[in-house]
Amino acid sequence: MKTDTETRRHGDTEITSPRLRVSASLLALLISFKSFAAGTPEYGDVYVDASIGDASMLNPVLSSDSASNDINGQVFNGLVKYDKNIKLVGELAGSWDVSANGLVLTFHLRKNVRWHDGKPFTAEDVLFTYQKLRDPQVHTPFGSDFELVKSVAAIDPWTVRVVYAKPFAPGLASWGMGMIPKHIFKDGDFNTHPANRAPIGTGPYRFKEWKTAQYIVLEPNPDYYEGPPYLARYIYRIIPDQSVQFLEMRNQGIDSLGLSPDQFKAYDAIFEHHQRFRYPSFQYVYFGFNLRNPLFKDIRVRRALAFAIDRQTLVQGLLLGLGQPITGPYPLSSWAYNSQIPQIPYSPQKALALLMDAGWRPDAEGLLTKDGTPFSFTIMTNQGNKVRELAAQVIQQQLHHIGMDVKIRIVEWSSFIHQFVDKKNFEAVVLGWSTGRDPDNYLMWHSSQQKEGQYNFVSYSNPEVDRLLERGRQTFGEKKRQAIYWKIHAQIAADLPYIFLYCPDSLVAVHKRFRGPEVAPLGMGWNFPQWYVPRDQQLYPVRTP
Amino acid sequence: MLSLYLERFKRNRLAAAGLAIIVLLTLGAALAPALCPQDPTAQNLTQRLQGPSAQHWMGTDDLGRDVFSRLLTGTRVSLSVGFVAVGIALGVGTCLGLLAGFFGGRTDTFIMRWVDIMLSIPTLFLILAVLAFLGPNIYNVMIIIGLTSWPGLTRMVRGECLSVREREYVHAARLSGVSTPRLLFVHILPNVIAPILVSATLGVGGAILTESALSFLGLGVQPPMPSWGNILTIGKDYLHIAWWLSVFPACAILITVLAFNLLGEGLRDVLDPRT
Repeated sequence: MKTDTETRRHGDTEITSPRLRVSASLLALLISFKSFAAGTPEYGDVYVDASIGDASMLNPVLSSDSASNDINGQVFNGLVKYDKNIKLVGELAGSWDVSANGLVLTFHLRKNVRWHDGKPFTAEDVLFTYQKLRDPQVHTPFGSDFELVKSVAAIDPWTVRVVYAKPFAPGLASWGMGMIPKHIFKDGDFNTHPANRAPIGTGPYRFKEWKTAQYIVLEPNPDYYEGPPYLARYIYRIIPDQSVQFLEMRNQGIDSLGLSPDQFKAYDAIFEHHQRFRYPSFQYVYFGFNLRNPLFKDIRVRRALAFAIDRQTLVQGLLLGLGQPITGPYPLSSWAYNSQIPQIPYSPQKALALLMDAGWRPDAEGLLTKDGTPFSFTIMTNQGNKVRELAAQVIQQQLHHIGMDVKIRIVEWSSFIHQFVDKKNFEAVVLGWSTGRDPDNYLMWHSSQQKEGQYNFVSYSNPEVDRLLERGRQTFGEKKRQAIYWKIHAQIAADLPYIFLYCPDSLVAVHKRFRGPEVAPLGMGWNFPQWYVPRDQQLYPVRTP
Repeated sequence: MLSLYLERFKRNRLAAAGLAIIVLLTLGAALAPALCPQDPTAQNLTQRLQGPSAQHWMGTDDLGRDVFSRLLTGTRVSLSVGFVAVGIALGVGTCLGLLAGFFGGRTDTFIMRWVDIMLSIPTLFLILAVLAFLGPNIYNVMIIIGLTSWPGLTRMVRGECLSVREREYVHAARLSGVSTPRLLFVHILPNVIAPILVSATLGVGGAILTESALSFLGLGVQPPMPSWGNILTIGKDYLHIAWWLSVFPACAILITVLAFNLLGEGLRDVLDPRT
């Protein structure tokens, strides 16, 4: 189980292992769940997971896509991790101390941890991982998490001291970053190192084989510090089509997959061998504008668009009620979500009034025009996410009702991000965020984060929000921080750089023979190394060596 | 002569059935806006993925749109792509074939090697590449299908032309001083028209199939405009939940292509003097 501290865009590859489908809420719902309290765990059998996209690099410092993350989460460990109740607990660090002013963290590392090649894990490796995270030559998306670190020092082989220049609330959680071995990476170019395709880690599973765009195979780590996991193989199949995955599930070809709302609600006989799980996700989907585009500069226009989109229909019609409409930049189950903010109701009349106010007039054919130019733009979204493509089409239709000419362009995930979003080469997007457990969303909203490839690609800038974001990450204590993030929520909801659409539920199917799957506030898969299959139900004759 | 053909055609039941289906489809396509029970692009999220019923004869799709209305509107796309593409192929293919067959020599060599080159390129991949470059829309689809399906026709027309140009009436026309274009289009073309007609009819079916394949891959007709191919694409995602989304457009494609093939085969039998 890897601590999912990073914020990432989620696209076609979001539907992956249940291990990372972590979510946080006591409201976690269970559709069907069999207790695994009965019986003693047995070794053997294979767990077959499915992913829409292939992993890019099996190095936690370099990769941020969810497929790589799924594998890295099994192969690598961080110093700390979230437990099932979203409390930070020690992983490679057995314990830690925080100084009174919050500026100094001292990690006490476990002494019985070995890399998959048998070398011991020490403070040198932590130091090395940190150096790579801060190295400008290294293509890591996580450097900014460590920008406020003043120094990291190895006091002795099993003690690491981290000193921060300023208080940084998400600091401790950022050490959930997977630790990488110094003895492997010290020679050669880090970004293109062969070990990025054949990783050596400390985690419960070790790497066995990777066939590009086909599958990745992991086997249990017999030396794992908590004891070896029960399952004899972890196979990660790359199946780029959700409906093919669904077919495979019916034939018991895969043991776990993410479901679309339509699939989740399909008749029960389809799920003969699998059980379904539903829980709130740490994701939200939005309709975002390029605020540099003159069309969307006027707040009255953005408010009009918010009035013209019927979120309730989106949630009921497309998500089949398996999700909730939202008003601001946090998942519903986050403590930073401000439930005081009222939902903007669906009202085409109000939308039209606002647009008239902003100078737009319907022409003879009912198309809104201003100074001779029609209100016309293109919504872009990524390929592979069915619900999102449909949402774009519904929005197109609803905006058509009030006289806007909207086109849709659906682009493959990586070219969508690199050619269009990163280069600010778009008018409006339908996209989603998978957020970390910490509500710090400085990267998405701070005005300093607008360079190519950074996350504030809509070019949002509000000095008040900037100030609050800075304060939020320097304040300790959930209650105090909550007050700050509620203000941020209120301000962003008023400025509407995005129209916040909905927070979908995570929908997952897992084969019934597995004992252990359990939904907790963190989501599912937090106890994956303890999953097992009773001997008489094992499907594959593979035994742990 | 014509009455002989008509007589033969009437006796060929399959060909007549094919023709009847094509006439029906053409009428349906022409009158689609009037015949559609519902607006083919009107969404209704409360009526998603409903099975066939009195209200929705062929059910609804994943945005609650009426599948029957969408299929009917899609007929226009499919038939117009079929006819326009084949029209382009006919024009190009017949002219080149006549030139190659009539003049022979270098002209022939040049045109026939060009045909060989075109035939050696996998057509679908060529079309995909060109569409990815030009951007997908229905006009590009028509033109590109047309411009990639002439080589077979050219080869056939050339062969026919080679034999026809040695006939006595052609020699006679030439001796009496008829100009080359007149010779080609008035004296030779009418005598090679039978195989051209057959091949064109079969070609329409092929073009419709290609268009469906392109729309299925997302490179043909763009949503929300319906076409048989893109209705099928949606159907693929709901195979377990909504069979009607795949079965009806698939049947539409099957029946239409079959109708054109039956008609084509029938024409061949009718027009062939050896039968």
